[in-house]
Amino acid sequence: MSLRPGVGGWLQGKTVRKGGGLSTSNTRSSTPQGVQSTSSTIFGGGVKDASGRTSEYFVRRRHSMDDQCPVCKSDRYLNPKLRLLVSSCYHKMCESCIDRLFTLGPAPCPICSKILRKLAFTPQTFEDLSVEKEVAVRRRIAKEFNKRRDDFPDLRAYNDYLEEVEDITFNLINEVDMPQTEARIAAYRAENAALIELNIQREEAYAQTLREQEDAEKRDREQRATQLRREEEEEREEREKDKREIIDKLETSDKNAAKLIAKSRANALKRTSARVASTTTVVHSNARLLRTRAAKDIPDVPHVPFKDNYYGYEDLYQLRPAGYEDFFSEAVRKDREGIMRAGGYRIEEAWDRALRDAVADLDLPPLMGLAPKTTSTMDSSGDVIMAEA
Amino acid sequence: MDAVEKANTERQRRWVKDKKVGEGTYAVVYQGREASTGRKVAIKKIKVGQFKDGLDMSAIREVKFLRELKHQNVIELLDVFSSKTNLNLVLEFLDSDLEMIIKDRALVFLPADIKSWMAMTFRGLEFCHRNHVLHRDLKPNNLLIASNGELKIADFGLARDFADPGYKMTCQVITRWYRPPELLFGSRYYSSAVDIWSVGCIFAELMLRIPYLPGESDMDQLKTIFRALGTPTEEEWPGHTKLPDYVPVGQFQKFPMRDLFTAASADTLNLLSKCMIYEPRKRISAREALTHPYFFALPNPTFPSKLPKCSTHFSARPLDEVDGNVQMNSTGPGVKARSLKRKLTSSDDGSEGRNRSIARRLDFSKHTPGS
Repeated sequence: MSLRPGVGGWLQGKTVRKGGGLSTSNTRSSTPQGVQSTSSTIFGGGVKDASGRTSEYFVRRRHSMDDQCPVCKSDRYLNPKLRLLVSSCYHKMCESCIDRLFTLGPAPCPICSKILRKLAFTPQTFEDLSVEKEVAVRRRIAKEFNKRRDDFPDLRAYNDYLEEVEDITFNLINEVDMPQTEARIAAYRAENAALIELNIQREEAYAQTLREQEDAEKRDREQRATQLRREEEEEREEREKDKREIIDKLETSDKNAAKLIAKSRANALKRTSARVASTTTVVHSNARLLRTRAAKDIPDVPHVPFKDNYYGYEDLYQLRPAGYEDFFSEAVRKDREGIMRAGGYRIEEAWDRALRDAVADLDLPPLMGLAPKTTSTMDSSGDVIMAEA
Repeated sequence: MDAVEKANTERQRRWVKDKKVGEGTYAVVYQGREASTGRKVAIKKIKVGQFKDGLDMSAIREVKFLRELKHQNVIELLDVFSSKTNLNLVLEFLDSDLEMIIKDRALVFLPADIKSWMAMTFRGLEFCHRNHVLHRDLKPNNLLIASNGELKIADFGLARDFADPGYKMTCQVITRWYRPPELLFGSRYYSSAVDIWSVGCIFAELMLRIPYLPGESDMDQLKTIFRALGTPTEEEWPGHTKLPDYVPVGQFQKFPMRDLFTAASADTLNLLSKCMIYEPRKRISAREALTHPYFFALPNPTFPSKLPKCSTHFSARPLDEVDGNVQMNSTGPGVKARSLKRKLTSSDDGSEGRNRSIARRLDFSKHTPGS
């Protein structure tokens, strides 16, 4: 699937093509790719998915040679970029035919002679064009024939109404008695104008409450999650505290160690059982099981940050907080653009390294009395020196 | 035969090559042993003849730094000698890497295990930074695991010393998924904070069992980062808009880490978020990280020899091209018994990746104890 950006400024809609492959190769700019765009606004062709995009029926078999434009008889073999669009009279033709016939304004359909406009061509959503048509018709009908069960005195009247709607729909789809049907629709519209309006509003209100409900549920879920998280955190902290206490007690008191531990364990158990913790216990038992793998011969020793005796000569020297005036770092210190600051470069590290290396080599602290006069951290041009921050 | 040649042959005689375990564009890796003791080693033969302008840069870097760095958590360079026109590096033999362990679905990680790996990583990294060496290519498959469980930082092919004020550094380093935003924005002056970001990504990956920030291109990497951590504001990261390659990539909401790392403790998340601070100067240093409460909190870090290990033994397979790195295209001289370089377009991060990541997450939380 690919979502192609519009080519002309008049392109606003988005169309997702199913079974792409061909779509990516379509890079023409003058051909009316944009026909797809206004389709839904003109006569409601195409079916929108949840995100509001129209998904287009596109030949899945990528190398299908059967596709043929009924107007110019060009097929996929001759024109691999062939793309068929559907007119408002439900006739297919290829993009170049549409371009050729309708660029100069409305013109008759080459198949049924109905007057068509370029903009009224839509991408195909369904393989079967009659389905395509039915969907469009039903969408149109549903907009006006929107009475509900409670608008009728009894079920019978409601059923009669539904029967009538179905009748009209059938007529429209199959183009039977078109003038009479249109007249019926007009009559209905005139009769029920107020009710239609009211029902549209009701519909909107219903959608609105549905949305609100969803939002509320989502908020609720989030709240529950944070609550749960907080509880877990508290529990963990408590446990940690207990552990520290035991260790402290074991360290300071001279009572029997086993007794002390047993006592605090009992306390902890009371607390946890007071809390409803069905899920956590499951996790616990799992963890116990797993831990047996590790609990073999060698005990896990507490963490030791550094395992080597590293001496960095830190006691023999000190970086001057105001920094140093050295030639090499001049460009870096005047960080006009701030590019070194954001990259994380620290001039102190260079100074520290130089000092440390010197001190380590000589095994002597640096001379303190011969320091050159240093300026403050701001130099005359107002540039911030790297040393701060 | 002059004295130098003589010394070289003497050295060469100390080591025996056994079998080939991997091959890349710039080097061939052999398993070998020390002739006198039988101790297993890895011998990395750098193909010198191929380079028009001398020795491969990464080999020089590796020798330069590894000769000096000796630490429990840094791979040891035992010897260097030449044979015919080739340069040979003799390195400690390490049988697996952290990536293999992360990918082995049969293994279950306890929080204590992750803590142990992190402590070892930070210790090794602190040692490098203390000696003013930036690693610049930290990722799970450059963290090798010795048979006793010790983690060792390897592959110093992109390393350099830092803090010399006169020189610009390249921003085309670190595998993309582990590259910090300041490098993506093209900063030429940076610091040890770049490595900390990578460690943060590895930390998250250990918990998630999938890469935390898998961007598909440099641009997408920034988006991925911002999507996960929110777009930085000028306040959070002063001056970032002035960086050479700065481009606005859109506004993304900050989203609490807790939502993704459901089973992690507060300390864990605190350390992780400190590793992933946008402003490099505020990012935690390796030294500070080692004294972070996370490491002192219970459970204690797992003793290295008890850490989960890959059951499957390595087999010889070719080293793939380094991905993510645009410029430094060597395989990197870190010795890997088996290299599982990531493919950027692997199905892992394809459409089905979403389902899989959820499965992994559930999996993970189940194994994590509450305390």
